[in-house]
Amino acid sequence: MIDAALQRFIAGAAALGLHYDFLLSGGEVRSWLAGMAMTLLLVVLAIPLSLLAGTAFAAALTSGRPWLAGPVRAYVELTRNTPTLVQLMFAFFALNMLLSRALGGAAHNPFSPVFWVVAVTGLHVAAFHAEALRGGIEAVPAPLVEAAQATGFSGLEILRYVTLPLALRTALPALVNNLVNLVKLTTIGSAVAVNEVTYASIMIWTQRDNVLELMIVILLFFGLINLTVSRIGRAVERRLAVPGYGVGYGV
Amino acid sequence: MSAAALPARGPLRAAWPWLAAACGAGLLGLLLDARLTRDLLDWLPYLASGFVMNVVISVLAMTLGTLGGVVLGAMELSAARLVRAPAVAYVQVFRNAPHLVLIFATTYIFPFEIVVAGNYLPFPDWLKAVLGLAIPAAAYVAEIARGAILSVPTTQWDAAKGIGLSRGQTLRWIILPQCLRRALPPWMNLAASITMSTALASLVGVHELLHAATDASTAVRRDDFTVAIYLTVLLAFFLFCYPISRLTRRLERRLATL
Repeated sequence: MIDAALQRFIAGAAALGLHYDFLLSGGEVRSWLAGMAMTLLLVVLAIPLSLLAGTAFAAALTSGRPWLAGPVRAYVELTRNTPTLVQLMFAFFALNMLLSRALGGAAHNPFSPVFWVVAVTGLHVAAFHAEALRGGIEAVPAPLVEAAQATGFSGLEILRYVTLPLALRTALPALVNNLVNLVKLTTIGSAVAVNEVTYASIMIWTQRDNVLELMIVILLFFGLINLTVSRIGRAVERRLAVPGYGVGYGV
Repeated sequence: MSAAALPARGPLRAAWPWLAAACGAGLLGLLLDARLTRDLLDWLPYLASGFVMNVVISVLAMTLGTLGGVVLGAMELSAARLVRAPAVAYVQVFRNAPHLVLIFATTYIFPFEIVVAGNYLPFPDWLKAVLGLAIPAAAYVAEIARGAILSVPTTQWDAAKGIGLSRGQTLRWIILPQCLRRALPPWMNLAASITMSTALASLVGVHELLHAATDASTAVRRDDFTVAIYLTVLLAFFLFCYPISRLTRRLERRLATL
């Protein structure tokens, strides 16, 4: 049944001049699917990391304490104004190498290329989240914060129960945009031989010379992930919508 | 992109002591280590020649992307569905596509030489990287252009007509100045972002800064040099992109008060 459908698809694509016959070779299909699974894994790990770190950075930036805001601001500026690929190369070829030396050889180093890709892309996008959330936190009307202070909320409680929930609503469209960027950024993993979908595809097309065919599927694949991310983002936006705050669709 | 569009009023000044301290520590380290300093200085011209390539790719990609994007943006606003649909589809597909994938696509799909009127013209990899980055740049510029055109109320056309301006005059003196002012900050953000993406060209073998740094690091094969050379690359991009980003924010802030 599936085989017949596959045969028909390959024949149909061949009529258009596209050669998908590698789909009949089990090994190549398996490594390609493994590549897609790895991309999804990178995305699923890096998204929560970016959101958690972004929130922490935003909290530090708006804390009003220079010793906390200063270093975070420096980090945010550095990471926003340097290429993610260079950050990954620095992390992998310099930091990871120093770590290996310190731990007595690469065999003792628990940090894999996958770890570095997730860490670098997650923390890179976190800087963008932090900026969006900071804008939202600063946009919360001062009387609201003063009312919370008068009620006896501590600084952290105000952040947790007053400013951050409201900032999240204003910042959501920007956060979703950043997450779409994060999904695209995971492709740099191919630079450190992480077998994500781009890397797996390179392995196939160097054998088969069918770049265009694979490219169409990769673009569809990323289009689908990003569509899902924006759909979820929009659903969250609608759910959280408070009349008068943010640009919620339900308002 | 859109996160970067937020005007920053945060404790930017608080960052300076820390950035200065980091640079100072780096310089001090170099002074204390004469061998590292000498090696870095030896490789500096090679790195510089790489960075020139980044700038060339970025300028060409932004030029092509801007030309294509303005046309696409205008098409997106067309009343005719047949004109609008392809532009909307293009923007949707290529805004969601990873830049690295597009660079791979243009590098491997285009031939290494093209025949123009019987002459074989070489089609080098760096030019393919330009196209690979111009494709998404055009999609982003299309959105920027569309937003800028939409931001000018149509009643201004009527008002300009009322005071006796022709359509061309209205466009030149009333509409375009406002469009450009609104489009400039996001366009500059994009230019910085595309400049940073030029580092991806190293992965298809284009001799640019990151590629040069990897060459240097494999040639010297010393830990301190490897760390220093990648830090130099980060610093080079930072020194190029940070002023753009500061200027963008200042323009945004001025626009916000208008």
